[in-house]
Amino acid sequence: MIYLATEPAPVNHPTVSLGCGNWCTFNYDSLISSGISIVITIAVAIYVARMLDSQKPGRLQALFEWMFSYVRTTSKDTAPDATAFVVPLAATIGFYILVANWIDFLPISLIPYVHPANTDLNQTLAMGVVVFLVVQWYTFRIHGPKGYAGYFFWDRPHDVPMPWRLLFVPLNIIDEIVKPVTLSMRLFGNLFAGLLMAYVIVLLLGNLPYVGSWLLGPIVLAVWKLFDVGFIGLIQAFIFMLLTITYFGLAREGLEAEHAH
Amino acid sequence: MDHFAAAMIAFGIALGGGAIGAAIGDGLAGNATISGVARQPEARGTLQGIMFIIIGLCEAMYFINVAFGALFVFAIGK
Repeated sequence: MIYLATEPAPVNHPTVSLGCGNWCTFNYDSLISSGISIVITIAVAIYVARMLDSQKPGRLQALFEWMFSYVRTTSKDTAPDATAFVVPLAATIGFYILVANWIDFLPISLIPYVHPANTDLNQTLAMGVVVFLVVQWYTFRIHGPKGYAGYFFWDRPHDVPMPWRLLFVPLNIIDEIVKPVTLSMRLFGNLFAGLLMAYVIVLLLGNLPYVGSWLLGPIVLAVWKLFDVGFIGLIQAFIFMLLTITYFGLAREGLEAEHAH
Repeated sequence: MDHFAAAMIAFGIALGGGAIGAAIGDGLAGNATISGVARQPEARGTLQGIMFIIIGLCEAMYFINVAFGALFVFAIGK
């Protein structure tokens, strides 16, 4: 508690600069914690793949098969012809975010000024931009060049007659651009608010007289961490994964309407 | 009025407004889940899963407000 109370608020990230402006300045706390979570993700994935056994599936294998088949079923329902790349993308992102959130259970803040990876907007925005680019590529592939332009300018919304559709052009463009922004800010906001709450708990309860600071503070902090990291971290990882799949389904909007007529 | 006081007032407004919206959204999700379970008690598991997703989506707006409000307060009050 005393150690934590000496930290500054988790708003400013410590940076290391390579000496060539903003693009070479890295938040090394996010780099360290995302590196740890990448290593754990890959190690768990390799371990599960090694111990696969079709005769006697263990508990871990059953859990992973259940999660993977959920992703595959959802992906097949929303975007049937994109399963080949949506399933790896969504499953990887979901599992990585889950590991990166739950890594907060480990005492990684014993390394000075290191925060969990998803409390940095750069980290979540990177994943949001990757999803955005793949969705745009998929939209371009299934609609073709003409259809891709029409996707923004004259094809949507379908139940509105032609001249009025032009009124919706700004809305269509905003609708696409806002996707990575909301995707990343949702994850960042939840995790960052949780970290800030832990900071406020330490700030308020860390300076109590002795019973408070060694008994009450840690209990409140542990309960909050259990709720925030365990529950909100799980739900946010799941929502990020589900929205990734849903965006691929939304990109197919024109196709179903043409088939229906 | 200095910048820090203005940031604190803005943080309070953002917290309050965000709380109203998130509470209404959570209430609607819970309401729909209760009527769904009352109509079809066997669908309870599915509906609860969907309810938690909706609640997560609703609460996200509020948490974004909290995070950015705190960001402004700490960044300006420094």
